[in-house]
This record gives sequence, C-alpha cells and structure tokens, in this order.
Amino acid sequence: MKQRFHLQALTFALLTGIFSAQAADTPVKGGTLIYLEQQPHTNLYPPAGGFYPNGGILNQITDKLTWQNPKTLQVEPWIAESWSSNADKTEYTFKIRPGVTFSDGTPLDANAVAKNFDTYGLGNKAQRLPVSEVINNYDHSEVIDPLTVKFYFKKPSPGFLQGTATIGSGLVSLSTLQRSFDQLGDARHIIGSGPFVVSNEQLGREVDLVARKDYHWGPKNIQQQGPANLDGIKIIVTPEDSVRIGALLAGQADFIRQVQAYDEKQATAQNFPIYAAPTRGVNDSISFRPDNPLVSDVKVRQALLHATNAQQVVQTLFSPNYPQATSVIAASAAGYVNLSDKLKYDPAQAKQLLEEAGWHTDSDGIREKGGQKLALTVYESPPQPQNKEVLQLVAQQWRQVGVVLTVKAGDAGSKTLDNLDPLKTPLTVSEVGRADPDVVKSMFYPTNRDALLQKGGSSDKVKNFRDDQLNSLLVNISAEVAPRKRLQLTADAQRYLLDHAYVIPIFEEPQVFAGAPWLKGISFEAVGRPSFYGAWLEKH
Amino acid sequence: MRHSLLHRLGQSLLVLWAAFTLSFFLLQVLPGDAILIKFQNPDLGLSPAQIAQMRLAYGADSPIWQQYLHTLLAMLRGDFGYSVQAGVAVSALIASNLPATLSLALPGFLLAALLAFALAALSRLPGLRGLRTFLQSVPALFISLPTFWLGIALIQMFSFQLLWIPVINPSPLQGLILPVITVAIPISAPLAQILLRSIDEVATQPFVAVARAKGASENRVLWRHVLRNALLPVLNIAGLLLGELIAGALITETVFGRSGLGQLTQQAVNNQDVAVLQAVVMISALGFVLINLLVDVLMPLLDPRLQPIPGGH
Repeated sequence: MKQRFHLQALTFALLTGIFSAQAADTPVKGGTLIYLEQQPHTNLYPPAGGFYPNGGILNQITDKLTWQNPKTLQVEPWIAESWSSNADKTEYTFKIRPGVTFSDGTPLDANAVAKNFDTYGLGNKAQRLPVSEVINNYDHSEVIDPLTVKFYFKKPSPGFLQGTATIGSGLVSLSTLQRSFDQLGDARHIIGSGPFVVSNEQLGREVDLVARKDYHWGPKNIQQQGPANLDGIKIIVTPEDSVRIGALLAGQADFIRQVQAYDEKQATAQNFPIYAAPTRGVNDSISFRPDNPLVSDVKVRQALLHATNAQQVVQTLFSPNYPQATSVIAASAAGYVNLSDKLKYDPAQAKQLLEEAGWHTDSDGIREKGGQKLALTVYESPPQPQNKEVLQLVAQQWRQVGVVLTVKAGDAGSKTLDNLDPLKTPLTVSEVGRADPDVVKSMFYPTNRDALLQKGGSSDKVKNFRDDQLNSLLVNISAEVAPRKRLQLTADAQRYLLDHAYVIPIFEEPQVFAGAPWLKGISFEAVGRPSFYGAWLEKH
Repeated sequence: MRHSLLHRLGQSLLVLWAAFTLSFFLLQVLPGDAILIKFQNPDLGLSPAQIAQMRLAYGADSPIWQQYLHTLLAMLRGDFGYSVQAGVAVSALIASNLPATLSLALPGFLLAALLAFALAALSRLPGLRGLRTFLQSVPALFISLPTFWLGIALIQMFSFQLLWIPVINPSPLQGLILPVITVAIPISAPLAQILLRSIDEVATQPFVAVARAKGASENRVLWRHVLRNALLPVLNIAGLLLGELIAGALITETVFGRSGLGQLTQQAVNNQDVAVLQAVVMISALGFVLINLLVDVLMPLLDPRLQPIPGGH
C-alpha cells in the first residue's frame, strides 16, 4: 500500500471545498482500507462479538437474519425476507432470502439458520460453545422447508427478533459450527456470508479481508447494493494511542478506532472527521453491591449519588461526544426516560444524608460509624474510556463529603475474584451496549451480568442481598409481549434503580473513531460497530 | 568427552523438567484462572450455571496432579494446548511470535554491540581527546532514556514529520529500522560502560607498557593490544544482555505494534493464560540451556587455558 502524506491531504482538503457536492455521490470502486485497531481480537465465536475488536471484524464477515435500522431502531429484512410470530412471542417463523451462500460455497438456507440458533440458544457443551446473551428462553428449531425456519421458546421472548439483528447472532457456516470454541480465535475459521472474507491473518497483529465479488444480499433498505466498493480491508493492531492518531494524520491509515477525547481536536483541526457512534445501552456507571454493609443503607448510596458530579467528569475528561448520563440507559436507547432530576449533584444533601445514616466526620474529615471508616474500593475497568481518570475524579468528589474511594488496578485473576466478593469490592464499573430494552435485564438480572451481585446470582459469596421487586420488573421486560407495555416497564426499571440508588450513571459511552477526509460511506450498526460495506476511498 | 556431554545433556533435561514443574505449580497458586477470567467476562453474559458447565468441559476443576500429568504428557508430545483467551493453539501463537522477536532482538543486539564498540573506541582515539568526557557520558544518557519515549520520539520524527519510514504497513526491512534502534540504544549503554572500564583496566597492565616501550604507536596499542584483551568481560555480559533484550522487547513491541514474545507474555499474564505462560517458560528455559551448552563447548576454543589437558581429568 502506498503512503499518503500531509501535502496530499492538504490539497485534498482544499479541493473538497470546491468539488464536494459532485464527489459525494459517486463511490469509487477499489482500494484497500487501512484500519487501525487498538487491541487484537479474541475468540470470534459470534456471541463473543460484544468485545469491540471482535465486533469490528465480525460485522464485516457475517450477515444477520435481520437488520436493525440504526436511525429508527426498527428491525428490517436482511437474510430473512419476512417473518411472523405468534401473539405470545413463543414461536417465530422466518422466510430466508434465496441464493445466499457462505464464502465456502455452502448454502445459507433454513437448515443452516436453524443450526446457528440451536447453537447460540442452547450452547454446545461438547464443543465448549457458550450460550448467547441475547437469546432468552430458547427451546428448539424446526426446518419447515428449505427456506423456512421456525423457532420455539419455552417462555415469551419478545427480544428475540431484535436479538437476530445483533453482532452476536452473525450467521456462520456449518463447518464453523462444527469447530470447538478453542479453534474460533483464528479468524480464518469464521466462514460467514458477509461482504468481506478473511483472506489472511497474522495472529495478534493483522487481519486481511477481501471483498466477495458475488455478494448481492446486503440489507435491502440501505443504499449500498451488490458487492462492497473496496477491494479489501487491512486491520492492523496498533496498541499505542499516539501512534494510531499520528499515523492517520500522516496519511498512513484511513480509519482508526478508539480515539481518546484529548486527541479529538488534533484530528478535527486538520479536517479529519471524528465518528462517535453511540452504543445505546446501559450507560457508563458505577454500580453498588448492597450486600456490603458499608453500602447496604439506601441513604449512603443516595448520598454518594448526589456527591457525584457527572457534569464535571464529562467536562474535564471528555468531549461533547460523551453526553452526560440522564438515566440508567442512554438517551438514544429504546425505552429511555429522562430522569436527570434524580441525578442532581448536591453535596449539601449528600452530607445531610450521610449524617442521617449515622456517618459522622472524624478529625481527618473522613466519615466514621462504630469505629469503621466509610472507605470503599473499586477496580478500574480498562475497556471503558479513561476509566481510571474518571474514578479518580469521582474519588476526589466523594472526598469532599468525607468518603474515601480507592481505585485499584489489579491483575485479571484477582480482579475477577474480588469482583465476585461484595465485601472486597462494594462498587463496580458497568456498561453494556444493545439496542433493545432487554439490555436492562442483561445488566442487572442475577443470572445474567448481575451487576449488583444478588443472592443466587453469579457469586456464592453473597449472603443476603436480593431485590425480588427489581428482578420481577426485569423478567417482565424480557417477557412482555405488548411493545408499549414493555417500554413502560423499562421506564419503571430505570426509576426503580435510581430511587434505590443502585447505580450512579456517569456518561453515555460512544465508540469513537476517526477517519481520513478521503474515506466516505462509513456506517455504523445500532450499537456502534463500524460497517465497511458501503465505504469507499476517494482519489487523493 | 562423550561421557561428559551426555552428562551435560542429562542435566539440561533435568533443568527443563524442574522449570516445567515449578512454573506449573506457581501458576496454580495465582488467584483465579484463565477459564474463570474468560467466561466470567461480562461481554459473554453467562449465568453461573453456564460458567460451571464450561469449567467442567475444560476439566478445570479436576485434581491438580491429574492436570499436571496431563499437561506434562501433552508437552512431551509437543502439544502445548490451547490459549483460552485467544482461542487458538499455543503452538500457533508461538510460531507467529517467536520469529518476530528474534528478528528484532538479534539485529538489535548487533547494533548495540556496534554502538558500544564505536563509543569505546572513539573515546580512546588519540585524536579525539577533547571529546573524551562527552563520549564517556553518552552511555549514562542512553541508559536513562525511557524506551517508551525513545520509540515514540523516533516515530514522530522519522515517520510522522519527515515521512521517511512508514510505521503502518511497512516493508519487512522498513519495519525493523526504528524498532531495532529503539531496543539497541538502551542495551548498548551497559556494554559500552563495561568496555570502557575494561579498557581502563587493561591499559594499566604491564604488557601494554611493554608494547609502548617497544615503540608501538598509540593507535596500534589501542587496537592490537588493549581492545582485543578488553573484549573478554564484555562477551560474558553480552549473553546476559541478549536474554534481557528478548524479554524486554515488550515496550518496543507495543509502541511499534509488532507481535513478539514480550507482547504475548504480557497478554498471557493479564489473562492468566496458563498454557501460553507455560510455553513461554519452557522456551526461555530451553534457550537458556542451549546458550549454556554452547558456551561450555565454545569457551575452551576461545581461551586455551580452559582446554582439557590430554590425559588429565
């Protein structure tokens, strides 16, 4: 690949000012896009696609049964031409588009779709393939005819239709499904039907994709049709932040992921656009583990919620691409209600609540009760943007009301174990993206992500805490058949979580990318994973 | 001679087995394990029952002696197992990382030796007396440059400002230039310091005075007598530094986005990917054993005093 340098970029910037109207409409065919990733991908079993680097690859090489319109969040046809479900949402029937093939030449038909969802819905113990998080209550599939497949559920599963549109439901060939989990870290083993195919991989370093020339089954409601414009994509792992942004600005790359907020200006100043794609799920928040006696009192939790100045966090550390949170879920998420009146920064009220709860300041200005100090710990979460800095700023804010917060960075083993023990970690950092109300259940329900650590959930160290009222709200969201009622329940759950001060939402987390000015037609799926299907490189 | 070689070989195998056993049990003591870290990850959203199933499928909860025997036997067959985190065979990870490390470390080491030698020689050249203090302080400067800063500075200057060498998608040769300089500079410093000190020592030896008295020029004394004899202690430490270089390439690999054993080890430590760590330990142990064998065989060739006396023991 040739190098592109400053001068050309500058010339280009001048020219676009004049010719932009003309150039915008005619995609250029050909060229290889250089995409810089921050981290190497891990296992590419599609339900593991939540990890950003994994989603960035899977979204190019796999297609989904349905396509979720990122603007309207409506579920629209893709590999499924049409579908129907019974009133209870316990049965779904999909009509498959004819003529679709995987890149190994095998047909993407009803049989393949059935096998995919049997694996994602039930897992496969022998091959160590885990169950997908987005599929609830799955029972079995039935192939009606070569292009019709029907799915049965044990209980209503209203979120299933949207679940078929997520990265985690990417369709793969039967040969891929026959492999064990241990082999799916090799990108070459993931055979999908997407517009791009993995042609080469240097483990941990680079993944090369080439366009499929016979691709003609993209979502029918988008502008791009037929094969992709690009010849290929080179995904290069470049861990160092300053090297990614520097290489982009020096013309050595076309598109980069994970731009730090403080680097955004550098790009925009040179007319390199920033793309901040929303992840539309549970906001970047701090969750409490109420099983820990220090935070079991709702007044203490409320005090800490009001002692947190999210506005200061956003203004000090981030850019306008990181909106301050106004509820548990993002403003662009389905079922969002604005609850900013419950999230007011009010240190005076915080102090009063702590006094009421019996925590009084000692000579150091730290609150104490029965000889115990109000000192809490939290582990930083490296995947979240500037998480250490965020937590340290929150620690400063809490110190103003006499509470100590220690931010720890541990090895993965201690961190994973300590995070299962509410006595060791009374707080945790949480965030998850999914454009369906089910996301709230995913985050807080005991047998899902269990952010609050409830009894009977992911940890056997929890002694007492369990909130059945919250849990029944969450179950109802995932099983409510009437769409309006479902959104209503989602709103109730957000209110409930904040009234009990179980979480302190900080900001809505985007995935931030930067592109070269000559790169056009980039799009993002509903939770911010990039799609290069319609992308093209303008001559420059 | 044959007997002693067999003896050394047996010793080496014992060292390898000890390294395996020690690392196996040390890795077991760490809190948590790779399977827990992988499947407890919220990105997968698994329920506790599902995680327990996965642990069962991996045999993670079977007795430790069973796991030990299983791993040992597999390794003897050349099977290093699977990386839970990366989802590929460990042998594939090693195969894609070891060449990258060697191709960085060996030229880096050569350049470091060259730099050290040039510094030492220049500071002793009779014509450069005025610069001696400056040249002698260069190693101290080199050793205090943080690798991270050095790498970024080189990239900013030569790749982003001067546009001479691309850092993204370079040709294999272009891809080596800046990283090799980055690893060579800090390694050259201790080499240069030892060489300088060794030169000072050798210069006071009687045979140097003899050479001078015989009328040899200052240049001839430096090149023929002093430098040649000053090299021995440097060779001794060079072996150690080469090991440090291979292990310490992590920062360079990260800054330049290169693959390599440093990078691989760091990720494996992060995720407690025991199979990968075990393999890295074994490779390091094997390298160490081989270098020692090589030194034992070569030393008598370099230093006649170490050659066995015919007929003696």
